[in-house]
Amino acid sequence: MASHYEAPIRKPLVTGSKSYSDVSNDIARPVEGKANKQWWIVFSIALVAFLWGLGSIIYTIATGIGVWGLNKTVNWAWDITNFVWWVGIGHAGTLISAVLLLFRQKWRMAINRSAEAMTIFSVVQAGLFPIIHMGRPWLAFWVLPIPNQYGSLWVNFNSPLLWDVFAISTYLSVSLVFWWTGLLPDFAMIRDRAVRPFQKKIYSLLSFGWTGRAKDWQRFEEVSLVLAGLATPLVLSVHTIVSFDFATSVIPGWHTTIFPPYFVAGAIFSGFAMVNTLLIIMRKVVGFEDYITLQHIELMNIVIMITGSIVGCAYITELFIAWYSGVEYEQYAFLNRATGPYAWAYWSMMTCNVFSPQFMWFKKLRTSIMFSFFISIVVNIGMWFERFVIIVTSLHRDYLPSSWTMFSPTFVDIGIFIGTIGFFFVLFLLYSRTFPVIAQAEVKSILKSSADNYKALRAEGKPLYEMPPRGKVTTYEVEESNTNSTTDH
Amino acid sequence: MASKVFRALYTDDDILMNAVKQVRGQKYHIEEVYTPFPVHGLDKALGLEDSRISMAAFLYGVLGLTVAVTMMNYIMIEDWPQDIGGKPSFTFLQNLPAFIPVMFEMTVFFAAHLMVITFYLRSRMWPFKKAENPNPRTTSDIFLMEVAVKSEQEEALTELLLDTGAIEVQVPKA
Amino acid sequence: MASHKQYWKSEAELTNDPVVEQLAQNEFTETLPVNDFFEQESSLKDSQSSRRDFLKFLGFSTAAATLAACEGPVKKSIPYVIQPDEIVPGVANYYATTIADGYDFASVLVKTREGRPIKIENNDRATLFGGANARVQASVLNLYDKNRLQGPEASGSAISWSDLDAAVIARLESAKSTGKKVVVLSGTKASPSYSKAIEALKAKYPNVEYHTYDAISSASALDAFEQAYGERALADYNLFSTDIIVSFDADFLGDWQGGGYSKGYAKNRVPHHGHMSHHVQLESNMTLSGANADKRIPLTTVEQKRALAALYNALKGVSASESNTVIAGHVNAMAQKLKAAGSKAVVLCGIDDKDAQLITLAINELLKSDAFDVAQPKYVRSASASVIEDIIAAANKNEVAAILIDSVNPLYSAPNAEAFSSALAQIGFSVTSSFSLTETAAASTFVASASHFLESWGDVEMKKDHYGITQPVIRNLFDTRQFEQSLLVWAGVSVTYHDFIQKNWRSTVLNGSSWSQAVQDGVFYSSSKGSRNFRISEGDLQLSSNKLSSSSSNGVELVLYAKTGMGDGQMANNPWLQEFPDPISRASWDNYLTISKADALAYGFENINVANGGLDGSYATLKVGDVTLNRVPVLIQPGQAKGTVGLALGYGRKSGIQEEMQTGVNAYSLYLGQSKVQSVSLEKERGMHEFACVQLHKTLMGRGDIIKETTLEDFISKPSEEWNPTPMVSLDHQEVPATSVDLWESFDRTVGHHFNLSIDLNACTGCGACVIACHAENNVPVVGKHEIRVSRDMHWLRIDRYYSSEETFVQDTEKKENLDGLFGDNGSLSGFGSMEDPSENPQVAFQPVMCQHCNHAPCETVCPVAATSHSRQGQNHMAYNRCIGTRYCANNCPYKVRRFNWFLYNQNDEFDFHMNNDLGRMVLNPDVNVRSRGVMEKCSMCIQRTQKTILDAKAEGRSIKDGEFQTACSAACDTGALVFGDINDKESRIAKLKESERMYHLLEHVGTQPNVFYHVKVRNTEKA
Repeated sequence: MASHYEAPIRKPLVTGSKSYSDVSNDIARPVEGKANKQWWIVFSIALVAFLWGLGSIIYTIATGIGVWGLNKTVNWAWDITNFVWWVGIGHAGTLISAVLLLFRQKWRMAINRSAEAMTIFSVVQAGLFPIIHMGRPWLAFWVLPIPNQYGSLWVNFNSPLLWDVFAISTYLSVSLVFWWTGLLPDFAMIRDRAVRPFQKKIYSLLSFGWTGRAKDWQRFEEVSLVLAGLATPLVLSVHTIVSFDFATSVIPGWHTTIFPPYFVAGAIFSGFAMVNTLLIIMRKVVGFEDYITLQHIELMNIVIMITGSIVGCAYITELFIAWYSGVEYEQYAFLNRATGPYAWAYWSMMTCNVFSPQFMWFKKLRTSIMFSFFISIVVNIGMWFERFVIIVTSLHRDYLPSSWTMFSPTFVDIGIFIGTIGFFFVLFLLYSRTFPVIAQAEVKSILKSSADNYKALRAEGKPLYEMPPRGKVTTYEVEESNTNSTTDH
Repeated sequence: MASKVFRALYTDDDILMNAVKQVRGQKYHIEEVYTPFPVHGLDKALGLEDSRISMAAFLYGVLGLTVAVTMMNYIMIEDWPQDIGGKPSFTFLQNLPAFIPVMFEMTVFFAAHLMVITFYLRSRMWPFKKAENPNPRTTSDIFLMEVAVKSEQEEALTELLLDTGAIEVQVPKA
Repeated sequence: MASHKQYWKSEAELTNDPVVEQLAQNEFTETLPVNDFFEQESSLKDSQSSRRDFLKFLGFSTAAATLAACEGPVKKSIPYVIQPDEIVPGVANYYATTIADGYDFASVLVKTREGRPIKIENNDRATLFGGANARVQASVLNLYDKNRLQGPEASGSAISWSDLDAAVIARLESAKSTGKKVVVLSGTKASPSYSKAIEALKAKYPNVEYHTYDAISSASALDAFEQAYGERALADYNLFSTDIIVSFDADFLGDWQGGGYSKGYAKNRVPHHGHMSHHVQLESNMTLSGANADKRIPLTTVEQKRALAALYNALKGVSASESNTVIAGHVNAMAQKLKAAGSKAVVLCGIDDKDAQLITLAINELLKSDAFDVAQPKYVRSASASVIEDIIAAANKNEVAAILIDSVNPLYSAPNAEAFSSALAQIGFSVTSSFSLTETAAASTFVASASHFLESWGDVEMKKDHYGITQPVIRNLFDTRQFEQSLLVWAGVSVTYHDFIQKNWRSTVLNGSSWSQAVQDGVFYSSSKGSRNFRISEGDLQLSSNKLSSSSSNGVELVLYAKTGMGDGQMANNPWLQEFPDPISRASWDNYLTISKADALAYGFENINVANGGLDGSYATLKVGDVTLNRVPVLIQPGQAKGTVGLALGYGRKSGIQEEMQTGVNAYSLYLGQSKVQSVSLEKERGMHEFACVQLHKTLMGRGDIIKETTLEDFISKPSEEWNPTPMVSLDHQEVPATSVDLWESFDRTVGHHFNLSIDLNACTGCGACVIACHAENNVPVVGKHEIRVSRDMHWLRIDRYYSSEETFVQDTEKKENLDGLFGDNGSLSGFGSMEDPSENPQVAFQPVMCQHCNHAPCETVCPVAATSHSRQGQNHMAYNRCIGTRYCANNCPYKVRRFNWFLYNQNDEFDFHMNNDLGRMVLNPDVNVRSRGVMEKCSMCIQRTQKTILDAKAEGRSIKDGEFQTACSAACDTGALVFGDINDKESRIAKLKESERMYHLLEHVGTQPNVFYHVKVRNTEKA
């Protein structure tokens, strides 16, 4: 029927002629089954990295920020680089689930669950840094406008860092509820098929007692739509505000009005790359090739290619404006980026972010799993360097040459960064074992429009269903709770 | 006399849709429909009213904005106006540009969270809430329709339901 | 933060020592008998001290210091301003006193809080020597040196004074009977009463011989002056109104002949009515004086000698027979200028050569220079170069029975230390009065623990008729005794040294005027105008000049010098001075071989910056005669004369000082015959040395708006827009001054005070006294060599030093402006690269930079917790206890003046400096809190001082006079480069300075509207 129509030229988004129950079984399998060997290997590596990072963080807080490589001139380096990098990665999830939902992109459905998971996990990593980079992290709560014994001792709403506090916390919590709301029907599905009592208990707790009434579904869809509508400007605002940390400053190389759009593009860029990295692994490990198809990866690659080019334009624009401004400090800042002591960082950034995505113009390359995986890694390296270049090379040679110096990381800097990567994968791997990693309810709703078997039927002009054999009549016990269950009509 | 509730189980959303239309055509009262995924048009077919939750979200947003403005005006302008980097803290308007980001964030924050909370409460969902779907498979691949019926119509309804393609009709034990 | 209570802590207190409790009750009871002084002075003798018993009782823990502090300073001492007749907690007392440690001589004020001396200030009642240099500023910390001797010792074990005195007297007696010599050796004292005391000793023991020994000698100048004028002294130079200064290797802004010339020099460096002095410096090392010169000519010492001779001949009208045309050229130019200036000119000479010194005297006589003062010469140096040799010789001839050493440390500072130690052994009986267990002290039979000058009485005649008085401002912290007192005891004179001085002064110095007044002022001037005539014959002079002009070089010249921070090295255990960046090299915690780029290339020495920016340098082996010095780090020094290398004395001390402070190499071992120039042979060694240098980038990169400068010519002839342009911006398509544009409605700054700080780049010589003053005033932590190396110095006030990469800074700016395109010789890529290298003989500029207290402060807006905000008075506040340490403010500071506490710097064994021991913490200023780990700190414009001034005025119900407001740096600035005040007081000096045409703000175009402003540097190059 009409609601299921989709142009035949569109490639199927679900392959392997799945029925509704097949979908349920497939999605539930990783949760119900046992973890395989690769999972345990990857997980233990991630765990070790995480613990190392944890150690480094504890050491820092116990001893002082001095254990990092910072100095009087370069007061931020890896800490804020990592912060911006992780926040950027976080953007893809919301973007996929929210923006693509608004644009009614059905291909989002197979990947939005994991993308959102990635968002939340990476924003968690990002959130770590503003706290541990403080000289006195135990006073971190002072950034909240809470009444205190000093009376009128408040926070400073002029400070971009404070804007960050609001932006990041809003972003994290909204993404979380968005994600969770979407999870309810899928948790319910697992709950209802769970055999082990413990598992049943857990999932009925997680599913908040979802039942799937018509009215619930109606609200569910509207809530999803409105959340998407809110999340879209939110996700754009977050990286805009993060870029304000630099754009509103007076340091040449930071004080740049192009930053907001440039940062957002960069964020999408790195985010999609990270999604690619994760999905390419996951579809193999848990065997979801039928749901996360080549089609998905190709589409992702196209987005990467476009955003990568946007970022490239931004870099060029920066250089142009620096020259055009006629401000010697501005000019030197960018000259120094490209030719100064940190030129190596600048050019690795250029190579990874601007040149490498251009390969995606070739269909052969963007449909190659291995190549996509490789590029997705390269892009994330490049985006890390972008933030490093912006932060460190701008600071290390600013106005007064007397203060010029260099930065080099200590093992603690490195340890913390590796640690967050470990933490991220720990979370993601646990998620992939315990959560329905694909929004099965949503996938079911597009099965008839976008699954290969149904597309085939429609192509042959056959109906998308056949009447079952005449059913039988049985009886059921009336439980008081169940009779004339009230929902508001 | 109290009416009984028949349960009809279907395996396909399209069949369900037709069934719903027919059953309502016959002036039976459909108590509830449970589906594993959102079936588009079902709410129309069932004659459910539109949800007003988006309107609620809007109001929550307005609330958030108001809170943000009042808070920052009190903190930055009234309670302790300081000379911070020479930015004028004499009036809210003069200092406004610095406040825009937080105003936006708090609007979104309130709208999103309060809306979701409302949704959970209205649909009576919260941790440890016991699920109420009559058949566990309704969250996987079964579509279940509950129809209230007076005793004299039971036979007719059973027939109707089986005709509409229910794989099973469950009648309450007497 | 909690540091306040630390001051009163002690083991005794913990164990509820009855004494401490007793003290706690009457902590501040003792009154200063100020009034006695003005009633009848006779009563003074009766007054007795009462607390010494307590000290004995307690043992000499830090409680001792606490006790000594918490009663009034010693009786008989008189505060500078007579207000409190007892110590009021929280109110500072000032005492005038004088430091005369044989190297530094200065009249100073000592600020005491709760009886503890915590800071040295300039004594403005002293017309000369009233300026405390960096070392003198820091000397207060030595008082609380945990490594100082706390009681007399005999071969490592403590003994009592009575035993020591008994032993000494016995030895003296035996010597008297055997007729052997008893040698008394001290540094230059220039002290009438000291000599009196020696006389007393001689009277009892005729066989006593007294010698003075200067670790860094001015013997050649002394010999020359003695020959020329018949007195062993040094000519003084009054530079207040000199038009032309020609200096031959005399670092008169540094330590040349005791220093103290910068005030007079600076006065004439600031253009008044289009007039300022012209300064030519011929030197080998890059010195402070060279850095400030209008024209600097790098020459080897040999060339300098020839040039000096040639100049003399030229002035005499004798045809200059200088073969080197370049030098000849310079000489003729100088000769003309000097002739033209006549008596307004002066020639200074720091060459360690009697002939050179004679010729210099002759030239100044010839010029009839006003500045040249021989009638009232200086006495701050006195020793002959051979004193140590003489003693060794006598000892080896077994003529010496005993040697009594006062403070000097020949075993460290004498090149022939080994010989001297065997001499000590030969003598068999040696007493060294020493502040710490120096090499010499360790090798002596008895160690007489000496008092700090802040615990001592004394007097000094630095210059004829210019007297200073040293009065104790705190009771002896430990069981120490000043050497003068010992002399009296040994001489059997049973009076206190105070009474001894007083008596001596009454009879010889004061002739009638009040002793109390003299003590209160710390200075006393008598007048006995006499003239001296020059008694060197033309013939002798011609001989000398011929000797000079015939002098020829043999190999590389090693030119030994004294660093601004370390002097002769007797304060080596002072962490403030160790961390003090050298004004020229800006390296701390080290001495090193300075070498010209060309020579470095030839020898293969290199300087590189490693990944974290830290500076590394090669090692060299130095060979002078048969003495070798290994692993000397090499620092490439722009402006170093080719064929010469420099090395600072005063480092490499090992004995009696903390391990962290045992820095550098001991260059004294090469100081043969106490001649600062030695011919040396160099060799490269393996490995690289890690320097701790606070400024890693040497040049200004053509950024002419950071240090604006112009020539006197342009300054006079052209309008200020040309040499002091205001940055323009385009507003509504019209070019308007950037300073006139403001996005925001401004806060009202007309009410109350509005503080500004003016910095005159012409008057600033870069001496760095302000840096230490700030260190002391604001409890700035010492962070140690490694932290400095990784650019984590904590100085709130730094003095940036820039070299020009072309001949001059002006050319740098031109070069930058003419850069065109990216590539090619004139392209930005190569252009900026080349600008990073300083020129062979660069222009040098100093720029003190502290928090600029911007009215539109970028740091304030970005602080999330509003820990830093602006005050009505224009100060940029920093609320330490609100700071959470995001460091965003430091990033956003265009001046990079904010300093972060990367670690806990106090009470942390990782940073074992004065803030890590109870004694050292005594020096902390109770008005400024000690910052904890993880917070940002920076210059506060000494808000504790400004508020104090305001409150005092309020209490006295008067308005504040101009000049009352001072910051630590402005108060410490002897040259008047730093002026602080309230611009809302339209009549104030600062308000006028702000109107000056030379006024500009640092990085004006950024729009930060600083409350610190600078004055364009004017170079008097037009005469060149």
